[in-house]
Amino acid sequence: MSNYEKVTEEIQEIASKLLKEDEVDKIIGFGKGLFSKEVTPIFVSREEDVNRLLFSPEAEMSLAKYLLNYKDQKVAIVAKPCDSRAIASYLSEDLIKRENVKIIGINGCPGIEDNTACQECDIRNPVIFDYTVGEEMSDEEIQAEIAGFKDEIEEMSPKEKMEYFRNEFERCTRCYACREACYVCYCEQCFTESNQPDWVGDSVKLNDNITYHLMRAMHMAGRCVNCGACEMACPEGIDVRALAAKMVRAADEIFDYKAGVDPEQKTLLSEYDVNDREKGFMD
Amino acid sequence: MILKKVNKENFKELFNKLKADYNIAAPVLMEKGKKELIEYEYVDDFADIIWDKQPDSSPKNIIFPQNNYLGNDFEGNAPYDDGKETIILGVRSCDIEAIKVLDQVFIEDDMYIDENYKKRRDKTIIVGISCPERQNSCFCDTLGLDPVESDYAPIYLFKDGDDFWIKVKEEKYENLFAELPEGDQTKLTEILEKRRDKFKESSFELDIPIPLPEKEMFEADIWQEMTENCLGCGVCTYYCPTCYCFNFFWEGADGESEKYKSWDSCMFSSYSAHASGHNPRDGKDKRYRNRIMHKFSYHPLNYEGLACVGCGRCIDRCPVNLDIREALKMTEQYLNEKGGAESGKD
Repeated sequence: MSNYEKVTEEIQEIASKLLKEDEVDKIIGFGKGLFSKEVTPIFVSREEDVNRLLFSPEAEMSLAKYLLNYKDQKVAIVAKPCDSRAIASYLSEDLIKRENVKIIGINGCPGIEDNTACQECDIRNPVIFDYTVGEEMSDEEIQAEIAGFKDEIEEMSPKEKMEYFRNEFERCTRCYACREACYVCYCEQCFTESNQPDWVGDSVKLNDNITYHLMRAMHMAGRCVNCGACEMACPEGIDVRALAAKMVRAADEIFDYKAGVDPEQKTLLSEYDVNDREKGFMD
Repeated sequence: MILKKVNKENFKELFNKLKADYNIAAPVLMEKGKKELIEYEYVDDFADIIWDKQPDSSPKNIIFPQNNYLGNDFEGNAPYDDGKETIILGVRSCDIEAIKVLDQVFIEDDMYIDENYKKRRDKTIIVGISCPERQNSCFCDTLGLDPVESDYAPIYLFKDGDDFWIKVKEEKYENLFAELPEGDQTKLTEILEKRRDKFKESSFELDIPIPLPEKEMFEADIWQEMTENCLGCGVCTYYCPTCYCFNFFWEGADGESEKYKSWDSCMFSSYSAHASGHNPRDGKDKRYRNRIMHKFSYHPLNYEGLACVGCGRCIDRCPVNLDIREALKMTEQYLNEKGGAESGKD
């Protein structure tokens, strides 16, 4: 039995128990659609539907953001390690109540198909959970998973980088799938919707596209958990994650900070330390 | 009407001949980062055209681009490039029907004619193609369309292996094909019968009244459940071949400002936001309700036919695979449970 099938079975078992014992109203997890073979987020509230829940290499969406829709309800959520970090981050920002959420964490996440974020992911076990499924991954195993990772963009010259990103953002239609898929992007009003000042033009042009992606990236510093939901959501195959990932690495290198590893942690930008290095994100 | 039949080699020759006088757009494979997508693009090389797979996007962008530049004078309509005519090659029944929807809205309405759209449309020749089989998540036959043949395109292709049958329905285009060998209608009918058999078994059965009853559906309690997984992005509307909502605005510095008509999306909260701060569609359930109701109630109330053509792109391109078929099934079930709902038509 593959790891995915085993995890699927365990998820269904726990979900069934939670619903039977009335601990939650709803389970947020992955499942297949009724007509389509594609994996989609599903919301299970009846015990007989528990067998729809699954985990597979296509379980690409970040489910954490759905918790914001159920703030006052008791829900359980299936959480990949990156999703668990998003949940921890929400808890540290006091956006959700811990007692309302049962977290079914996936241990030893084998990664998601086509998600380049997984190539550099060094947190393969959930950081916060009530239940776990799957086998925990050891540090050695995690290191082996990410050993081949090379950040190709970092090796480019500034000119090559500019060309690379111009090519990528040229294709952007500003459908905002990346923003909506992102757990960080929960602002009630996005800067793109502001018309005083009008940060981003309404016509879809390269310069405005770049403005949108750069401004979004700047909001990601110390908050992005590098889950790759943005790039998976993009219908144009744009390397949306690259800029946010740069912020993730910068926060780690400069301030030794990883977002969403502890629900008690302070957010990077809300903590001031006189010993912080002067070096900025863009240096 | 004339019917011609050519092999691939001869069709290529015809393509190269037409290329001199027309811009030709057709489905080609586009590398987009790590994605490979089939999309309508202007083509130069006949070999690049992909005939047998449903394109991942419709040709909407060509007749109704995302950014419609309307010029910079206050008098009105702008310079649309009046150069060559554009042939859009290989458009399937779903996308042809979608162009019909756009035509209904932008030009066929007697009261309002969108000059900019009309100029572009008048310079566009749609060359349809018969669908070889059901692909991706499409369900046009469920909505009453014929995937094998469509009447709305002036020129229509039937590709059978390496043979191309060309049906020219409008006289003004007949001379383009005059020199080609005649096709045998009986033979073609045989081929098409066989092709129709492939579509006999419906992939998706649906029984809803059209137009959907407006008040009943507006008040239905199914929308929230239907959109539980919706992210609230604009993908379904941007890749929908019939979604035509747009926004007018001026942009740029004083003295250099330009007027645009650009795509908008009813799935964005800003679409229905009022200046007062009030938003009548303040949740994705209400926004999605509007999307479904526009396609299955408001459009059929005002024009002939639905504003959904069953191409399935909103399903395939959606980041969370929200499935309009499930939404329609829920609608059917809801109306059945309420007991024999009648259509919203007066």
